[in-house]
Amino acid sequence: MRTPVITNAIRRLRSEHGDMTQQELADYVGVTRQTINAIELEKYSPSLEVAFKIAAVFKTPLEKVFQYRD
Amino acid sequence: MSFREKSTWVTFVLLLVTFAVYFGNAFFVLHGANHVDGHPTSSLFHLFFQLVFWFIVLEIVMHILIAARTPKDANAPLDEREKLIALKSMQPAFYVLLVGAFLAIGTLHLGTTTYHMAHSVLFVVWIAELVRHGMQLYYFRRGG
Repeated sequence: MRTPVITNAIRRLRSEHGDMTQQELADYVGVTRQTINAIELEKYSPSLEVAFKIAAVFKTPLEKVFQYRD
Repeated sequence: MSFREKSTWVTFVLLLVTFAVYFGNAFFVLHGANHVDGHPTSSLFHLFFQLVFWFIVLEIVMHILIAARTPKDANAPLDEREKLIALKSMQPAFYVLLVGAFLAIGTLHLGTTTYHMAHSVLFVVWIAELVRHGMQLYYFRRGG
């Protein structure tokens, strides 16, 4: 199994924001729930645009949501 | 399962079944005694249009049914992951189509008729479409 290079804290951020559901986050960002799930499980790395939108929903800097590991 | 994935499953299964019936019949007609000088009877022609008709009808009915369960998903445009999946699935399907088309042309050198070649091309298009939808399902299951 490949090691994810881009990790994220979306699950934690969702629970910190009133247990926001994946569907709610997907609606804010404008993608499907399945895409949020794939991002959260680190199976899919989003575009910069979607990454910034997710960070904006949580009112958090991008680097607090996504981390790049060498 | 998202609307797009359900839609892909519907198309994949319908493509598989409909054209398996057609090519199963075509094989026996083209290689059996039911043809004259390599030109099959019109039954094959009629079967093709009947199957295409039922394929379209079933596609519409099945898509109405799955869209009715998730109307919001069905009306939403493709998101970036779904677009990427569609693009990534095109690549292997294109190679299948390319190689298959050349092989189909090659059948003429084996002394077959243009009718056989046309069916070979149609067969290759069918396989390429199955590969495209199959790869989409694979990527949907994998996550992207």
